[in-house]
Amino acid sequence: MIIDFLQQIFNGLVVGSIYTLIALGLTTIFGILGIAHFAHGSVAMFGGYLAFFLISTLGLGLLPSFILAMLCGALLGVVLERVAYYPVRNAPPINSFIIALGLTLIIEKTNLLAFGVDQVIIPTPFNRVFSVGGVTMPELRIYVLLTAAVLVGGMTLLIQRTWIGKAVRAVAQNRPTAALMGINVNSVSMFVFALSSALGVAAGVLIGALFAVAPGVSEGLVVKGFAVLILGGLGSIPGAIVGGMVLGVTEAFAAAFISSGYKDVISFLLMIAVLLVRPEGLMRGKAR
Amino acid sequence: MWKASAIAGLVAAAIVFPLIVTVNYFLHLAILALIFVMVAQGANIIQGYTGYVSIAQGAFMGIGAYSSALLSMRLGLPVWASMAIAPMITAVAAVIAGYPSLRVKGHYFAIVTLAMNMVVFIVLVNWISLTKGEPGLPSIPSPEPINLGFVELAFEKRRPYYYLTLTALLAVMTIVTLIVRSRIGQVLQAIRQNEVFAEAAGIACWKYKLFAFVFSASLAGLAGALYAHYMGFINPTPFSADASLNAILAVILGGSGTLTGPLVGGALTVLLPEMLRVAEVYRLIAYGLILILVVIFLPRGLVPALADLAARLRGNKSKRGAA
Amino acid sequence: MKKLLTFSIAAAMLAAVPAIAAEKTLSVGYSDALSGGGAVYGVPQKKAIDLAIEEINSAGGIKVGADNYKIKTIEYDDKADSTEATNVARKLIDRDGVQFILGYCCSASGGAMASFIGKEDAIVLVGTAGARSITSLGNKNVFRTRPPGDYTGAAAGRFIAEQGVKTLGILSVRDVALFTQYRDALIKAFEEAGGKVVALETFGGHDRDMTAQLTKLRGLNPDALFISGYVEQVAFSHRQAAELGIKVKRFGFSGGSPEQFLKVATNEQMEGVWDLLAVEFNADILGPKAKAFVDNYKKKYGENPTPNTAYAYDQVYVLRDALQAAGTVTDLKKIQDTLRNLPVPKEALLKYLPIDGKMFDGKGQAYISNGAFQWTNGNWKFVAELPSDAVAYSNFLKTVRD
Repeated sequence: MIIDFLQQIFNGLVVGSIYTLIALGLTTIFGILGIAHFAHGSVAMFGGYLAFFLISTLGLGLLPSFILAMLCGALLGVVLERVAYYPVRNAPPINSFIIALGLTLIIEKTNLLAFGVDQVIIPTPFNRVFSVGGVTMPELRIYVLLTAAVLVGGMTLLIQRTWIGKAVRAVAQNRPTAALMGINVNSVSMFVFALSSALGVAAGVLIGALFAVAPGVSEGLVVKGFAVLILGGLGSIPGAIVGGMVLGVTEAFAAAFISSGYKDVISFLLMIAVLLVRPEGLMRGKAR
Repeated sequence: MWKASAIAGLVAAAIVFPLIVTVNYFLHLAILALIFVMVAQGANIIQGYTGYVSIAQGAFMGIGAYSSALLSMRLGLPVWASMAIAPMITAVAAVIAGYPSLRVKGHYFAIVTLAMNMVVFIVLVNWISLTKGEPGLPSIPSPEPINLGFVELAFEKRRPYYYLTLTALLAVMTIVTLIVRSRIGQVLQAIRQNEVFAEAAGIACWKYKLFAFVFSASLAGLAGALYAHYMGFINPTPFSADASLNAILAVILGGSGTLTGPLVGGALTVLLPEMLRVAEVYRLIAYGLILILVVIFLPRGLVPALADLAARLRGNKSKRGAA
Repeated sequence: MKKLLTFSIAAAMLAAVPAIAAEKTLSVGYSDALSGGGAVYGVPQKKAIDLAIEEINSAGGIKVGADNYKIKTIEYDDKADSTEATNVARKLIDRDGVQFILGYCCSASGGAMASFIGKEDAIVLVGTAGARSITSLGNKNVFRTRPPGDYTGAAAGRFIAEQGVKTLGILSVRDVALFTQYRDALIKAFEEAGGKVVALETFGGHDRDMTAQLTKLRGLNPDALFISGYVEQVAFSHRQAAELGIKVKRFGFSGGSPEQFLKVATNEQMEGVWDLLAVEFNADILGPKAKAFVDNYKKKYGENPTPNTAYAYDQVYVLRDALQAAGTVTDLKKIQDTLRNLPVPKEALLKYLPIDGKMFDGKGQAYISNGAFQWTNGNWKFVAELPSDAVAYSNFLKTVRD
């Protein structure tokens, strides 16, 4: 029983780490621009497909493909910000939300057109399985967890310790004041989109290696990402990390101890409950 | 008054339409379009007038459809009674869903309602003993025939059903118009423009928001009931979040916060796929592009844009934003 | 719109008076998932139909009385969606004036069509769609080659019990009619044979992480697992079960090819796994006719046919035989009666189990045998026929309407 319990925690943490990567991008974009970037899941899937293409068609290695895909993701993020979101930056929030829906359709269907309806799996050589006191840990899952940890750590350092990170935090706190202080708010927006999209692509690659990139996955993914935001508190980076882990483990426990059929319902109910009891999120981020 | 005559002309055209159309298929499309216009009109109340984007219209349509179908099939209620009760059941569900979710605003509200649509969808799929799950409910009865003396309306035929749907839509349009022009409508628009001010002016905004949410849901519920008894078969697929996104698209395309916008937008979303006879994928990409272009260049939608154009052509620039 | 058809036939007749065997065109409607999730089944099914039509046309077409009909299709994408499928059927019947419709790979589209088609003047020959209601509703004008999921599920339940399994853990997709009906019949038959189901776990259409469910099943320690759903997800379930160190027998139902499984799981992870399904298209079992089909299909499309292609392929020959035997292309009543008494066409790829010597039973349902396949050295190996009883199932089908 205790082994199953620990096993479920491990299962949940692996999935939760992917949720965290998605949520980090969403939360930063929301914190800076107040946009619910609904197309983020499709961007992640695009990254997964791209990495697969680089590996299988161009014959690149796993790591170079991963990095190249993230760079392409960053570029895509900048383009999205400039072309789609920038023109409506001063319009009511509903407009940017509709833009996000339009982008989702375009990216999702372009993926379909370019990569087909079949699921795509990024090939990896990691097939070993470790067992620690009865808890089985496939090698690949451990690497996914570690990669996510490295990326989250790097992102946190970037935001906390660098000049550009300081600018991002300043804009998140008070956009007009930051602009008055001489921060180029436009470049900060572009930077945030580039960073977030690169992280989203990383999540897409991890999903593609551990599970599969396929049509229909992104919608569920982005909704989970937003659930994490609500759990952790809007615009809060620690909130996204804790929220992702909490959601992953909750889902595993819900499937194991309550009902696998209703596991998503349970995680959404948790989200609604948090909204009711603690609208500012579990981690008391900056509520807007 | 050209406006009154335009409305009269439109209604007259809608009444004559089945008598002149020779291909039954177009009648079928027209019925679906009328039903979807009703969903869009509901979405317009909460999204267009109140300024809260709800991605749950599809779920409420599903609740209406399943309630009505199950009431008539399991409890043996007359179809007319089931169709009348279904929007009330939907309204109850909307109160339960709206009370917590309306505590948040903007994008948050959209996401929460999207999650709710997913919850409803999962329940429709999983609660097999009630809904039969994904295989769906076949053989849903048509409304009982009505004998008008000179003619018997048999609703399993398309033409009578078209008139039934049209009558329902006209009734809905009348009620919506009355609400929009009442104090309630003014408060809703005040909430859209500035909720904090409205609150400061001593208005209990949450009551009005809940009313808008519940009313819009019950319109979707009625539309769902009409859909179920027309199609004769339902399963969860048409009530996924995609349906809700279509409703939002319809409102944006037609013009949010206008009475005629959802008519145009709702009809377009049903008829556009028929007109754009290209592969589905390209069409959806085009949808996405249209959505973005409309928001950037015609933020108020097609109907207000056309109305502006018409007003300008008539040299009357004072008529902005009415309709 | 029937006018258009009769007109075109009349025009063709006029034009063809002097000739002895006139060349005419028979328009046949086609509704299937050509995009979206169902396209994995719909597109190969359409390819198989096109291939059969090409074969029939180049062999001279359908000989009805003194006339020769070449088949032409009018095709629409129903996206495996109930509303779209309704629209497509209305469009085909009302606007294009067709009287025969082929296709339907999926439960939602087929189920929606079956719910109203009884009132329409058209004959529908359904391929891969598995929901029971498509034939159990009892429409006189619907015929299907694929047996419903619960027919195979019951046989699978008895088979698992015969393997000495006393307790069974189930992991199954929750939102596909074919699989839920199969699963429920399996549970019923397994429990009737004295077995006990320890847990029924499900996953959704896009899930690919089943470790939580599998960990729970591992803890319950049943004699065997049963895993069913579309191949993409079942393959992940088998991989994750192996990774979790689950050693018990694993049965399943998915009908995926070895290539599809090996994309996800390794050969070692799959070794010994069972797939219990209707004996669909399988060139190794079905003999030379099937081998020729594979060759032609490969030549035309550059890929292997999927297992579900044969259902729709056979239906085209069913249509040809029925029209030739009935001697009419317009008298639907007569064609329906002919279909109901039709023997299995000689070109049919699958081994049908005729009911009273006829291909379709009273509800328009055909049957094939069910088989147990086991993964051995990187491939599915046919091991045994499942204890299935087509006559008994056909009698049961008479009694249900959903």
